[in-house]
Amino acid sequence: MGSSGPISGIISARDAGLVACQRCGQVHPRDTAYCTRCEGRLRSRDAESLQKVWAWLIAGMIAYVPANLYPMLLTSTLIERSESTIIGGVVELIEYGSFGIAFIVFFASVMIPIGKFVAIAYLAISVQRHSLSNQHERHRAYEVVEFIGRWSMIDVFVVAILSALVQLDTIATVNPGIAAVSFALSVIFTMLSAQAFDSRLIWDTDRTQHE
Amino acid sequence: MSDQNPIGAAPLDVRPIKKRVWQRLSLVWLVPIIALGVSLWAAWQNYQDRGTLITIAFENAAGITAGETQIRYRDVTVGEVESVEFDDGLSVVLVHARVQQNVAPYMDDDAQFWVVRPDVSVRGITGLDTVLSGVYIEGNWDTQADVAQFEFRGLEQPVLTLAGQRGTRVVLRASDGGSVSAGAPVLHKGLQVGYLEAPELSFDGTRVVVTAFIESPYDRRITTSTRFWDTSGFSVSFGAGGVSLDVNSLASLIEGGVAFDTIVSGGDPIRDGHLFDIFNDEETARDSLFTDPNAETLEVAVLFEQSVSGLAPGSEVRFQGIRIGEVDDLNAIVVGEGSEAEVRLQAVLAIEPSRLGMGAEATAEDARVLLSDFVARGLRARMVTGNILSGSLLVELVQIDDALPAIMTGTGGQYPIIPTTESQISDVAATAEGVLARINALPVEELMDGAIDLMDSIERLANDEATVAVPSSLVALLEDSRALITDEDLQAVPGDLRDVITDIDAIVTRATEVDLVGDLDIALENAARAAANIEEATESLPAIAAQIEELTAKANALELESLVVSSTETLNAIETFISNEDTSALPASINIALDEMRGFLVEVREGGAIENVNAALESANQAAQAVEDAVSTLPALSARANQLVAQTEAVIESYSERSRFGAETLATLRDIQAAADAVSSLARAIQRNPNSLLTGR
Repeated sequence: MGSSGPISGIISARDAGLVACQRCGQVHPRDTAYCTRCEGRLRSRDAESLQKVWAWLIAGMIAYVPANLYPMLLTSTLIERSESTIIGGVVELIEYGSFGIAFIVFFASVMIPIGKFVAIAYLAISVQRHSLSNQHERHRAYEVVEFIGRWSMIDVFVVAILSALVQLDTIATVNPGIAAVSFALSVIFTMLSAQAFDSRLIWDTDRTQHE
Repeated sequence: MSDQNPIGAAPLDVRPIKKRVWQRLSLVWLVPIIALGVSLWAAWQNYQDRGTLITIAFENAAGITAGETQIRYRDVTVGEVESVEFDDGLSVVLVHARVQQNVAPYMDDDAQFWVVRPDVSVRGITGLDTVLSGVYIEGNWDTQADVAQFEFRGLEQPVLTLAGQRGTRVVLRASDGGSVSAGAPVLHKGLQVGYLEAPELSFDGTRVVVTAFIESPYDRRITTSTRFWDTSGFSVSFGAGGVSLDVNSLASLIEGGVAFDTIVSGGDPIRDGHLFDIFNDEETARDSLFTDPNAETLEVAVLFEQSVSGLAPGSEVRFQGIRIGEVDDLNAIVVGEGSEAEVRLQAVLAIEPSRLGMGAEATAEDARVLLSDFVARGLRARMVTGNILSGSLLVELVQIDDALPAIMTGTGGQYPIIPTTESQISDVAATAEGVLARINALPVEELMDGAIDLMDSIERLANDEATVAVPSSLVALLEDSRALITDEDLQAVPGDLRDVITDIDAIVTRATEVDLVGDLDIALENAARAAANIEEATESLPAIAAQIEELTAKANALELESLVVSSTETLNAIETFISNEDTSALPASINIALDEMRGFLVEVREGGAIENVNAALESANQAAQAVEDAVSTLPALSARANQLVAQTEAVIESYSERSRFGAETLATLRDIQAAADAVSSLARAIQRNPNSLLTGR
């Protein structure tokens, strides 16, 4: 905790007795409750941010478990009825030799969600520990997580589109499985978790340290 | 510590720092809690739902796939195979499956599992749906929840009777398993009312035992008096009505099958597992119906001296043609002792008292008493041919009227013994053998020798000169006969007769001329009849010739020559008479007499003795009267001629008759002579005294 970052010495709005609007960036006197420009609520720091982050993150992780255990797609054809989970689908694609698609599916459905969990957990832990290291990198990581979150829904979209299109009664039918809902929930929870993270906390440690 | 610093570093923070932990908790925590709750609940639910794990051991798990193969009960999926593995010894395949928890309690001792695969059999195609969907495991258990089991042994063949199917199971016993196979139909009056389950060997290995399931309500037709018989294959029977081919349904032809019927009422209802025997055919089955297997039987023995080949245990025992029991056992026993010891074949007969007409309550002792009474009156046992083709025999009890006295030895031996009488065995083999023996015994050699001798003799005879001469002799004989027939003498007979007729005709003509037409008409008629007779006689000549020919064969004993000669003589005599001058002179004499009378009248007329005219006339009248008288004798002549003709007729007839010919001819001759005498005496009288013609004296 003692080490000082390379960018120490930066004065935050709070240090200056001000509060910045998180939406439009307008700076107000410290006691101002609402932004004069966008009427957004002004808070110097969100004290419950970490709680929310953890809560959403855990919810997202819980939802991610059935998303992997249960089948994502229920495919019924004339002679066969198959259920495929995410990992099962990836394995199947590899068996069929579609490595590219297998990688995309694996990347979008497994690596990104897990990466987000890890990244958000890391951010939260590092803030709790008042870590002074890699403040810039952590901030960037936060931005990446927030940006990439929406793309995690690509799996759900694929399932939704397939389910809507392939409804040929007895010949072939594709239905979403429980995992599709779980996965969507997991993504939503993760995004909310990322949103709940108050990135300014990353820098408060630095400030505290300087004081 | 981590909390202290930021808070301490933010003295301007308006919110209280020292809040309780739970007070500082954000509501957002509800989200993961709910998520966790839902997840845990789902997991629990899933755990609860995944069903009971059961293990089924199969010999062969063809087509069973973990995670796919379903377990069905009445075609409803109740579980799924979870994994397939071998047991420790690799002896069986263990199929682990999850079944629904609400079903699991019913899987108790009686639960059966088998793999449903496509099956093509004579009865049809089943499990066709599994071709596309893959096999599944069918389970079968009843609706009684008992102590649930978790390990089962899978069956190799589908179970035919589904649990809960209403019906009755009976156990059938057959001597041969060829006619019964699993799934073979059980027929009742041609309808399939059940089927056989898998046949197995009985405990002692002597018979085949198969369980038959009879569906409700047909099972109500089964009573203790029901009989089952085998309908498998086809039967060809030869009988008086010809060949009869009996084929049941195609399925039973290939797979076998049994049929049953309850012919008589009065049987008791049966329960599951009642034991029945399968009879070989319907007839036997029906026959057996009248046999109460539990009825007391009287066992008697019969000792046969000759071979009992053809007699077998089960052969009928008949009394007056009615089956009263069967041969129970056949064995050889030694009778007598020491040098008189003989081996006899003992047939033990099981006789049913009820069939002796003694009623159902009759005991064996009653029957023994009755039989012993019969034996004293001549009842004997003998073997008779049951089936001439197969040579099978049966034992018959017959009443022999003149039987030697005998009694049924009662208590001495093991069985009472019925004395025997001569058996009537006429089996084909024996008969054929007898025929062959007789053919063998025939003196064929001698016969051949004799035949050869005969041939030689015939040949010698044929070559004999005398024999060769026979035809020529015959020809000669025939020629002689012909010569006889064509003999002029014989041929002359008709000619002679014709001459006779001509002569008679001439006589008649002359008689006509002397106004005897009336009489002569009759004579002519007679002559005509005679001619007709002669014609007939002439016509019958060929027949006579034939008869003569016949007679020639009987040597020349008949004195035809002399007969002919005498006939000819007779005829000649007749001719002589006819051509006699006296006879021919008779009319002439009359003419002369007339002439003289005329001359007398002329004399009278010329002499002029008118005075004597009256007297003369008177005399003339008298003369005329005399002439009339004379002439009046002519009818007698005519009559005689008629008689002659008649006799000639008789001659002709007797000629036919041959025997009386000579005598008749002589008689005729005499008559004609007498006639001739009379005529000549008349002529002489007239010659001597022509005046008498006029004077009438």
